Amino acid sequence: MTLPDRSSLSRRDYVRGLVAAGGATALGACLDVTSDGPEPDVPSGTDDPASLPDRQHAWNDSLSTDADGTIQLPEHHVLCPLALSDAIADGTDIDDERRETVEAGLQTLERAYEWSNEGLVFTIGYTPAYFARFDDSLPDSVDLPDPEALTAQETPEFDEFDALLHLASDHPSVVLEAEEGLFGDREQLNGLEVETDLSDVFDRVVQHRRTGFIGEGLPAEHADVDGVPDSIHENAPFFMGFRSGFADSQATEDRVTIEDGPFAGGATMHVSSMAINLTQWFQQENHYQRVSKLFSPDHADEELAGEYGEALGGSSAMTPDRIDATEADARERGVVGHAQKAARAREDGEPLLLRRDFNTVDGDQPGLHFVSLQDEIDAFVRVREAMTGTDLEVARANSGILHYLFVNRRGNYLLPARDARAVPTPTSDSTDV
Amino acid sequence: MPRPHTFDRRTFVTRTGTATAALALAGCLEFGEETDNGAELETAPEVIEVEDPPAAVYIPTHREAMRMLDPIEAGDIAIAPMLSYPHPFWIVAGSGEDAIERVEPEDGRGVHMMFTVWDRETGIVLPVDDGARVTVERDGEQVGSPLSPWTMISQEMGFHFGDNVSLPADGEYTVTVELPPISTTTTGALEDRLTDTETATFEFTYDEAFREEVVGGVEYFDESFWGTTGALEPMDHGDHGDHDDHDHQSGDDHHGDDHHDDGNHDGHGTADEHHESADGHGDHDDHGEHDDHDDHGEHHQHVPYSALARIGEYPGTILREPAAVDDGVPAENADLPRSGDAAVLVTVLESGSRLADGDEGYLLVSPRTPYNRVPLADMALSVTIERDGGETAELSLTQTIDGEYDLHYGASVEALEAGDSVTVTIDSPPQVARHQGYETAFLEMEDLEFVVPEVDGE
Repeated sequence: MTLPDRSSLSRRDYVRGLVAAGGATALGACLDVTSDGPEPDVPSGTDDPASLPDRQHAWNDSLSTDADGTIQLPEHHVLCPLALSDAIADGTDIDDERRETVEAGLQTLERAYEWSNEGLVFTIGYTPAYFARFDDSLPDSVDLPDPEALTAQETPEFDEFDALLHLASDHPSVVLEAEEGLFGDREQLNGLEVETDLSDVFDRVVQHRRTGFIGEGLPAEHADVDGVPDSIHENAPFFMGFRSGFADSQATEDRVTIEDGPFAGGATMHVSSMAINLTQWFQQENHYQRVSKLFSPDHADEELAGEYGEALGGSSAMTPDRIDATEADARERGVVGHAQKAARAREDGEPLLLRRDFNTVDGDQPGLHFVSLQDEIDAFVRVREAMTGTDLEVARANSGILHYLFVNRRGNYLLPARDARAVPTPTSDSTDV
Repeated sequence: MPRPHTFDRRTFVTRTGTATAALALAGCLEFGEETDNGAELETAPEVIEVEDPPAAVYIPTHREAMRMLDPIEAGDIAIAPMLSYPHPFWIVAGSGEDAIERVEPEDGRGVHMMFTVWDRETGIVLPVDDGARVTVERDGEQVGSPLSPWTMISQEMGFHFGDNVSLPADGEYTVTVELPPISTTTTGALEDRLTDTETATFEFTYDEAFREEVVGGVEYFDESFWGTTGALEPMDHGDHGDHDDHDHQSGDDHHGDDHHDDGNHDGHGTADEHHESADGHGDHDDHGEHDDHDDHGEHHQHVPYSALARIGEYPGTILREPAAVDDGVPAENADLPRSGDAAVLVTVLESGSRLADGDEGYLLVSPRTPYNRVPLADMALSVTIERDGGETAELSLTQTIDGEYDLHYGASVEALEAGDSVTVTIDSPPQVARHQGYETAFLEMEDLEFVVPEVDGE
């Protein structure tokens, strides 16, 4: 991938382009231009792995929150797909030595960077295709089917490589450096000597590498990308123009954790990558229509959202009444909200999904990498069915935001607990390494 | 009938031709861009507003010009692409006053891309959206984001899918349309069909010749007609000599355009026998005529217009307004009861109808545009039935596309008797985008009360 052209882009856009490009050269360029300077002030991690949470997906307690108490994901993200290297692809040589290699590599990241927005948070997940090479099947306590098309409209490709690293940091140079460090292209990470890398075990699958960003004001910085209109609010954290990720619309980390069996303490992850048509959304719809379709028609009538969701503060205001009104809104108001529809899948009033999605301009097109954690993939499928809403009598263009989203890829993953995260077998209890 | 409601093209007074008429009528165009040879880039004609249009179907300022491309067959369906200049239209999401928004075209190069989709077996234009996906490519590179076109109605085009699409430059474009299965309830000849995703691809050239054709081909009407109630005739109707003449005039101006399609002109020639569309002209040809047009070969396939059947072709007992219960069945579409200017036909099919469950009858409600009989899709309707002043049933109707009666809203009902009252409530108006002349109608829609007449009165 060629590097972006510095002269034609804003600094932040240039940096975003560097993250998207990846590689050592991009990292060097990134360090040259970021305010961090050549030796950014990134807090170091820990030498005591036991001090970190048992769950890989336990990010929330270490992430920052905004003034309204909403957890702020790190600003820069990389999804780095991995395939077992050819020598061990048949699975028979996935042994303790390989596990030690992977674990040592991942612990290097934890030693180099604080587990936080300022440092680095990450997960490694494994696909059904990864587990299929073993004689044993995954236990019933893990629901990890092959990914499939979930609507009649989509014909996605599927993540059929073996594993996926999700790296996230407020520092663009950190996600780049971490990725480079794991694959032997970097001698030091945040001043720490790299002793082990993963290239004996994994190859990167660069054609499916994905990147993105989230945070107030970041989407508007990409208005020079074809398909990103100028009219997106300058403070909006998401391409759709509004806040998201409110605590009351997110599952807790407990809720998405697998409770029983050898993978207790883990979670499942669904990643769907989609294009978004922002031209229709911003240039053709009015604000009232956008709020109706993203939240609910009641949100629009009551003017609850403000300009970019700021008026909601830290709550989605998705009350049981508004959720229960979905069917009636479809018939009587001719439009239903995306959040309203999806909230119908809540159980005992609790959301099922912990969303860690982010915006992207991969391929120079606006889109979304929808990263969702849940205790079983079926929970994602249930929420997606509620969001698709084929039961609702409403024109498709007015059924939430279906009209603007185009799913191109889907992948399912198991995120084992931290002590089982290194090339697990389907039956491996936490493997001591 | 007090006056003709449809507006035929002899009434137009001004065709913009190339620059002269547009300038005379519309003032100077200021797009600020130039074409390769230094001429001013004229991507769209001046848009003229109609002041205070009525809350009803009205005659717009002009007749849009467009280029029709060869229809493409894909499985059960056929798709006819049409291209015009980018222009305003109105999208609808809900029913309040904020729920309708005028879409302004973006400056610069672009097209208003439209296509009509129909079932090849019945000829029925499919008036619903299940998430069509359009991608545009130039030299193998995708242009802009994928898009789902809007469902739209226009007086000339009837029901179609469309959107304004910006283009980066003059050149050749390839468009891929993916149409997922129809999820709307289908009955009769459509039942258990239209179940596959179909894909169609077409190409077009965007260049100065195209702009001259579609911008220069616009016909402005005399100002005295603007905003008066009524509608333009469907474009496929009658007067083909005139229409052909018009197309050829602009067609003669450009060279080397592979896509200017003579087949379409022949198509117009055959259109008469398949599809007259406005009121008051001869007999309606049944949709079943498709066998006939197949005989013409694929290059001569005409594009059907989404007109519903005439009143007389509906079976059962046509319900009347209370004040007109002793009158005969309305003769003309425009004589049907109106709500929000939509003409609403209600008929009760006797028990044993293939559309009804078990021994029940079937209540068929068919809202349509008042002049061109275009079905109004994606509404929510319910009915209340009363006998001797007491309510006997309250039903939500199901949007249904039937192989014979096309789009309607229906429900099985217990046998109705003469004198029963049937109130049709519009829970939400048609959630369909509109071209000029339809954007003020079909929004505020009052209940309509009907009465079951004595059958002898039929």
